[in-house]
Amino acid sequence: MDFTPVIQGFEVLLEPENLVFCLIGVIAGMAIGVLPGLGPAATIAILLPLTYSMDPIPSIIMLAGIFYGGSYGSTVTAVLLKLPGETSSAVTALEGYPLAQKGQAGKALGVGAVSSFVGGTVSIVVLTLVAQAIAGFALEFGPPEYTALTLLGIMLVATIGNGSKLKALAAAAVGLLLATIGRDAFTGELRYTAGNLELTDGLQFVPIAMGVFGLAEILHNLERRRNATSMPVATDRVLPSKSTMQESAGSIGRGGVLGFLLGLLPGGGATVSAMASYGIEKRLGKGKTKTPFGRGAIQGVAGPETANSAAATSSFVPLLTLGIPANATMAVMFSALLIQGITPGPQLMTTDPDLVWGVINSMYLGNMVLLILAIPLIGLFVRILYVRTAILSPIIVLIVCIGAFTISNRIFEVMVVIVFGVLGYLMKKYGFDPAPLVLAFVLGSLLEDNFRRSLLMFDGDVTRVTGHPIAMTLLGVFLLVVLVPIVVKLVKSRRPDLIGGVPTGVSAKGDDGSDGADRGAGNANGGDSDGPDHAVDARTGSGSGDGPSSPGGSDRT
Amino acid sequence: MSWCSCSRRPLAAVVAGGLSLGLVACGGVTDGAVGGGDYPAEPITLTVGQEPGGSTDLIARALAEGAQDAFGVSMPVENQPGANGAIATQQVANQNPDGYELTLLNSTLITTTAQVVPEEEAVSMDDLDVIMGLSRDDYIMVANADTGYESVEDVEADSGDISYGTAGIGTGSQLAQLLLFEEAGIEGNEVPFDSGAPALTAVMGGQVDVATVQVGEAMPQIEAGTATPLVIFSDERNEHLEDVPTAVEEGYDIPVAQYRAVAMPADAPEDVKDTLREGFEEIAATEDYQGFNDENYLTPEEISGEEVEEQWTGMADEYAQRIEENGLDLGGEDA
Repeated sequence: MDFTPVIQGFEVLLEPENLVFCLIGVIAGMAIGVLPGLGPAATIAILLPLTYSMDPIPSIIMLAGIFYGGSYGSTVTAVLLKLPGETSSAVTALEGYPLAQKGQAGKALGVGAVSSFVGGTVSIVVLTLVAQAIAGFALEFGPPEYTALTLLGIMLVATIGNGSKLKALAAAAVGLLLATIGRDAFTGELRYTAGNLELTDGLQFVPIAMGVFGLAEILHNLERRRNATSMPVATDRVLPSKSTMQESAGSIGRGGVLGFLLGLLPGGGATVSAMASYGIEKRLGKGKTKTPFGRGAIQGVAGPETANSAAATSSFVPLLTLGIPANATMAVMFSALLIQGITPGPQLMTTDPDLVWGVINSMYLGNMVLLILAIPLIGLFVRILYVRTAILSPIIVLIVCIGAFTISNRIFEVMVVIVFGVLGYLMKKYGFDPAPLVLAFVLGSLLEDNFRRSLLMFDGDVTRVTGHPIAMTLLGVFLLVVLVPIVVKLVKSRRPDLIGGVPTGVSAKGDDGSDGADRGAGNANGGDSDGPDHAVDARTGSGSGDGPSSPGGSDRT
Repeated sequence: MSWCSCSRRPLAAVVAGGLSLGLVACGGVTDGAVGGGDYPAEPITLTVGQEPGGSTDLIARALAEGAQDAFGVSMPVENQPGANGAIATQQVANQNPDGYELTLLNSTLITTTAQVVPEEEAVSMDDLDVIMGLSRDDYIMVANADTGYESVEDVEADSGDISYGTAGIGTGSQLAQLLLFEEAGIEGNEVPFDSGAPALTAVMGGQVDVATVQVGEAMPQIEAGTATPLVIFSDERNEHLEDVPTAVEEGYDIPVAQYRAVAMPADAPEDVKDTLREGFEEIAATEDYQGFNDENYLTPEEISGEEVEEQWTGMADEYAQRIEENGLDLGGEDA
């Protein structure tokens, strides 16, 4: 491949104007990411008129900076306040927030920043080398492929919940049901809208996540009365230590690959990437991590953060090489290019190499700036936790309400946050982990729409999926992941001598690498909650039901 | 650690929160150029019923760009997406017709969506006064270049074996395509997508054979040769695609297009309407706005409010009749 345009792209980037707008974009993105609600897509759209009078290259560089800067910014509130501003950072909150509660917010955010940097930068390098060769991959992903991918994702979600397996499944089921609200995209029927026009398009992810995570956390903390100042805020280092990096290295590597590949897919691949990364890390790390998952396993921050950053970068590939917007933000970027008189399409690499490579190379700089900015800023952000709950909580509630309102300028979304805040509080009180609800909600509509679309494409004949090799492979993986643990457990329980393990249900020690304490706690929680206050804190990362029929309970595959 | 030094962060966060609101109400501060109680004396809100960044939103923002010059006040654009614009439109229709609350209307909300939603949800032109028409956004049917289809006849030849994508239930894209297939006697599987872009992606990936999308969406692929334009669904050819025949020319009388207009709550005082009309005409005459139309493949359709109401009501009646004649099922409870 000819690298001349790539190098010229650096020349373009080094023009002062482009450098400045890259900086502005990244900083604006980070600021907006820190505030929940207004996402990068909306921000870019709102700032679009500002770019009318600018040159194409600096304006696109700036808008791109807002996009990936925002993706990092939303990590901050997810970790510190359990307030995810975006789908991808919802997963980061699962391990990041417990870390913050233990006084290790600096560690969580530091690893997050480094992971994002690595994910983004590696993704750019790979993108530079293979963008054109792999662009076609995005097109191979139609409804049947998405159906299979989402199935796999939902299976992973089943393992995400902490505590009782049954309760996690119940929460996930509610999430799937919530996803059905609104106008049926295929028949036009209204489902569960109760005649309310506001519900015609269904519920949105961000208000639900802000409610069941952020607001519920505040309500829960209020119950603990005023003593909450005693939040154990340690002065922990921000730059990750060598041992932390060693612990996270594997997760970063896997997250990067996963994020890059899923980010290429149009229509929600990037959304799935952080979740998939978390699910995989949790499976691989069970019993092997220093801190169990659910209590602040650093791997659960490193993996998803790398994945979403890599995905954010690679989602530029379909736009720049095929003219396909892979997500809502890219759709706005598409418009931005059109307004600049540039037609994003397959020919863009040839007709506007300066633009393509200028924008791609600007991401190196942007990622670097994010890292350099993040490290000192984390020290400041973490101080939010020093503030007394009585002062901090009302402020957060206010920000949450403003954030929810800005999503679509409707008071309705604020109501949604409040309803889900109460729901999340009750779930927490009665030992239900809200994470499966939120994640199943995201995947639910993807699964339904793509499954029904596939059936229409196949004229109702399911066997025609055999003509789709990628979908078949994914389905194969799905079956393997579901069946192998069941078979292994069955075999083990019948012939313990053969495997060298101990029959399930008798002892959990040594048979599959999960530590006994972990599993024991999982079982204890299976009974019921152990006091409302610490319902979740007390839970370990396990949640391993021992029954052979629960795929999520398998530790090894 | 005293709390006063620490509380700076949340305070900053609140300040920043205010900033983000400021972004939404971009330009909410005016210079008060107009005094003496004359209209307009404060910013005019332009509500859009679609997501930021969509073509409707972009048109609104292009108009708002010229507002300061034309009206002496700014025009914040407010997005209230939901129910294909019905929520925003009803919200605006319930406001005072004082000229400070406008909305950008999509014709398909009136002409097409109304065919598939229950009556209480349908938006009626009676609740609104249209100030003026803006532009026309054409629908085009494209095929995957590998299918070799170059005209409607080619598609007809494969009848029964066709799958086709639409931009979703109750959209002009669906109506146009269903009418064409019904009249041409083409049988196939309808695969609705969430909007035009994924439908087009499915065409490029070969998941569906053809799809009907808006010209602006399809243009990059048409120029690159990855999608073949087959037919345009408006009453005249699109000046950017002079070679592509209209459905009418092909013998199918299906004039379906997305028209857009600015409207306000009904029963507005005449002088307010006049001021607005003159202002928008001034904006429409600017080079910036005309260039915007051109870059987005929009055909100007700057007709008076009365003409818009007549045109759209006519289209709604015609579509209803055609749907009934052809026994089409667009979906929805009332269809």
